[in-house]
Amino acid sequence: MPAQNPAEGLNGRGQSQVPRWLRIAVIGRNPKVTLARAAVLAVLCFIVFKFVLLHIRVEGISMLPTYADGSAHFVNRLAYLWHEPRRGDVVGIRFSGGVTNTPAGIHHAANWLEPPHVMLLKRIVGLPGDTIAFVSGQALINNQVLDEPYEKLPCDWNLPPEKLGADEYFVVGDNRSMPPELHMFGKARRDQIVGKATR
Amino acid sequence: MKIIPRFVLLAVLVALGVWLWFVLFPSPEKIIRQRLIKLARTASFSSGEGNLARLAAAEDIAGYFATNVEVDINVPGRVQHTLVGRAEIQQAALGARERLSGLKVTFPDINITVAPDKQSATADLTVEANIAGERDSIVQEMKFTFQNTEDGWLIARVETVRTLS
Repeated sequence: MPAQNPAEGLNGRGQSQVPRWLRIAVIGRNPKVTLARAAVLAVLCFIVFKFVLLHIRVEGISMLPTYADGSAHFVNRLAYLWHEPRRGDVVGIRFSGGVTNTPAGIHHAANWLEPPHVMLLKRIVGLPGDTIAFVSGQALINNQVLDEPYEKLPCDWNLPPEKLGADEYFVVGDNRSMPPELHMFGKARRDQIVGKATR
Repeated sequence: MKIIPRFVLLAVLVALGVWLWFVLFPSPEKIIRQRLIKLARTASFSSGEGNLARLAAAEDIAGYFATNVEVDINVPGRVQHTLVGRAEIQQAALGARERLSGLKVTFPDINITVAPDKQSATADLTVEANIAGERDSIVQEMKFTFQNTEDGWLIARVETVRTLS
């Protein structure tokens, strides 16, 4: 008398007890192909989320009201592959770790294999070569008032004009209702910019 | 037929040899990185630490620094502090352990540059500190200068770095 093997989940005729449609939905028509697809997907996800789309959690109030404290976003490291950062972009800025040591010397460049774990989240308001100043809370770029629809909180900052170098971007948070002493802002080198933040 | 297992065995032996070489003779970068990780662990503490444990930890922390170490902390608008010598470091570490109910320190994104003569090195790193009971963490870029002494790689200078100039 043929005995059923419960481990295989087969009936007496060697057929699975699991409905065919469910089996196809879960493991596909060909389990080997499904397994290969799952492996490729896992590797792809690992590469994308480890090196390209960096997951960030906002800490602090300096980007209010655009980015709430505790909210989660991504920084896209490929955003500036084809063009340079633009005014109004919200970017991730590395603290340390942007330097690559080689026998030929020290290079300030994005090290793709070592993405930063901690970043500043700021908005670019000044581009290389610009002169930036703050008068009664308004940002002036080359003596022209900068239209900033994202800035919704009252600001009374007054900062003297500052000329940006060829490789420098002026970055600042959206919440300028806090005193300038408590708000981290200023000039960032291009190699410090990790990528563009998503909303 | 036996060539493949022999080849695999040889590859495993070579890999083992390379691994053993790096374990027995670590590079200065690796030694410094490990020291920094250990320092962060030693600087971290949780509530309920006894007086003797506090004292031992403070002494342990001071041991990572050179005798004539200079620590220059300057965060505009927040804190400005200079410590000189191991004794001041030890006192500061002890004071922090008495004042705070807990602290977690990590050094993410460490970047080490060793001088060609291998007698000094700098570590550019981010300090992330979480004080117990406080929601936001303190994040600051810092530069550690190391000296290769008879007692190993010791921290000779610590200074804050302005991430945005």
